[in-house]
Amino acid sequence: MNLKKIAAEIQAWFDDRFGLSAIFKFLREKEVPQHRHSIWYYTGSTILLLFGIQVITGFMLVFYYKPTLEEANKSIARIMTEAPLGWIIRSVHFWSASFMIAIVFIHLFSIWIAKSYRKPREATWMSGVFLLLISLVFGFTGYLLPWDDLSLSATKVGTDIPRSIPVVGIWITKLLRGGEDVTGDTLTRFFGFHVCILPVFIFILLAFHIYFIQKQGMSLPLAFENKGKKVRSLPFWPNFVYREMIVWLVLVGILVTVAIFLPPSLDKAADLMAPAPEGIKPEWYFLFLFQVLKIFPAKILFINGDTVAVLMIAVAFVLFFFLPFIDNKPTERKGKIITVVAYVVIVFAVAMTVWSLL
Amino acid sequence: MKLKHSLFSRRQFLNGLLGGWLGALAASFLYPVVKFIFPPYREPDKVILPFSDYEDMGPNSVRNFPWGSKPGLIKKEDDGAYLAFVAVCTHLDCNVVYLAEQKKFFCACHEGWYDENGLNIGGPPPRPLRQLIIEREGENIIVKREGVE
Repeated sequence: MNLKKIAAEIQAWFDDRFGLSAIFKFLREKEVPQHRHSIWYYTGSTILLLFGIQVITGFMLVFYYKPTLEEANKSIARIMTEAPLGWIIRSVHFWSASFMIAIVFIHLFSIWIAKSYRKPREATWMSGVFLLLISLVFGFTGYLLPWDDLSLSATKVGTDIPRSIPVVGIWITKLLRGGEDVTGDTLTRFFGFHVCILPVFIFILLAFHIYFIQKQGMSLPLAFENKGKKVRSLPFWPNFVYREMIVWLVLVGILVTVAIFLPPSLDKAADLMAPAPEGIKPEWYFLFLFQVLKIFPAKILFINGDTVAVLMIAVAFVLFFFLPFIDNKPTERKGKIITVVAYVVIVFAVAMTVWSLL
Repeated sequence: MKLKHSLFSRRQFLNGLLGGWLGALAASFLYPVVKFIFPPYREPDKVILPFSDYEDMGPNSVRNFPWGSKPGLIKKEDDGAYLAFVAVCTHLDCNVVYLAEQKKFFCACHEGWYDENGLNIGGPPPRPLRQLIIEREGENIIVKREGVE
């Protein structure tokens, strides 16, 4: 019996039980359209790569990290100084998170502007909005874990924002904080969100998100769809995969370089009773929100300014979530206005971010 | 089957009963879950501090004390009187600092300002700082919420 035959038999054994050949057949036949906008197709897989790096470096960090009031800051210091190569693992985790969020935003706006969410891909968009939300909460909960002055103040502010929502707000704040105030319980709870609850949800949502994309194939730009032009395409395996790998390798190179030369800092352990340090800033992807809250007046027509701000954010989020249904006539005037809105949102967010850094 | 003067059929009645029972069952499982994730919190009614710790404060200066899990500040006025504040910004809960030279409380998170009596005078804070009642009792200072004996 030669090796080839054994391999074929093993494959047949698995195929009888799990029907894997259907998946392999699908991947062999999958094609990716090629046109001048196909560069945006790479954003999805780079997010997956960075997410994978987060999972692996996260597994590593959790071997040393201790989520308690007394130990959190010390255990990070230990990771940075004692654990072999610990500093670089933490630095990669830190930077990969930022890279991932950045590419998530690029992914999001490329889809918004190309209107790839149009029928029948509404559910792909909606699962994506939840993935965005979870990614941001990952970032927010991870920010507290080093337990230094900056992260404590950022968490106090961030968990206090929902309080301005009428009726349910106070309960959201209490749920997040594990009590009335940010304390050691908040730290333990954030750790639970970060390494246990959020991962479960992100994996489930990712599975749906990726399944929908495979089911429906890559979306084509509107222009092609209308003209009914035949679009050139590339086999997914191996041509497109190799191209993706080039992008991945370049990205990993940049990521590790940045991680080596700019490792994240660690301040002294947070003191719950100390005043907020000067110049506190959240992570860069919350800066636009930070700036909006800062310039919002305390009172607008006898209503608490923050309540207005939070309600506006909530309404914007709902509109954003249902965008595929709002933008139901993509080629008409309404569709063009919605594309302009995407650019306006980008300009607004960038302007607010720059302002907050001044 | 539905009787002549009945509002609903026997099937509907039984379904309602079953559904109601299932709902009650679900609620009885959910209740302890919800109860568990919201820990009880009681703000202290009062804290008792040794006066000797605050006796040597100069005029127009502040010193910390723990008010539950929040920081509190005791401030000595120019005339020697004492005031007590919950040193937490009314905007988004950051801890504030007292800047003695400027005679103002300041929150660094979103640049909120309060005057020396805790009144919000600039930036986003919507309300004055929360003030507590401060009393001297023998060797101790008692700081308490309003309405507490």
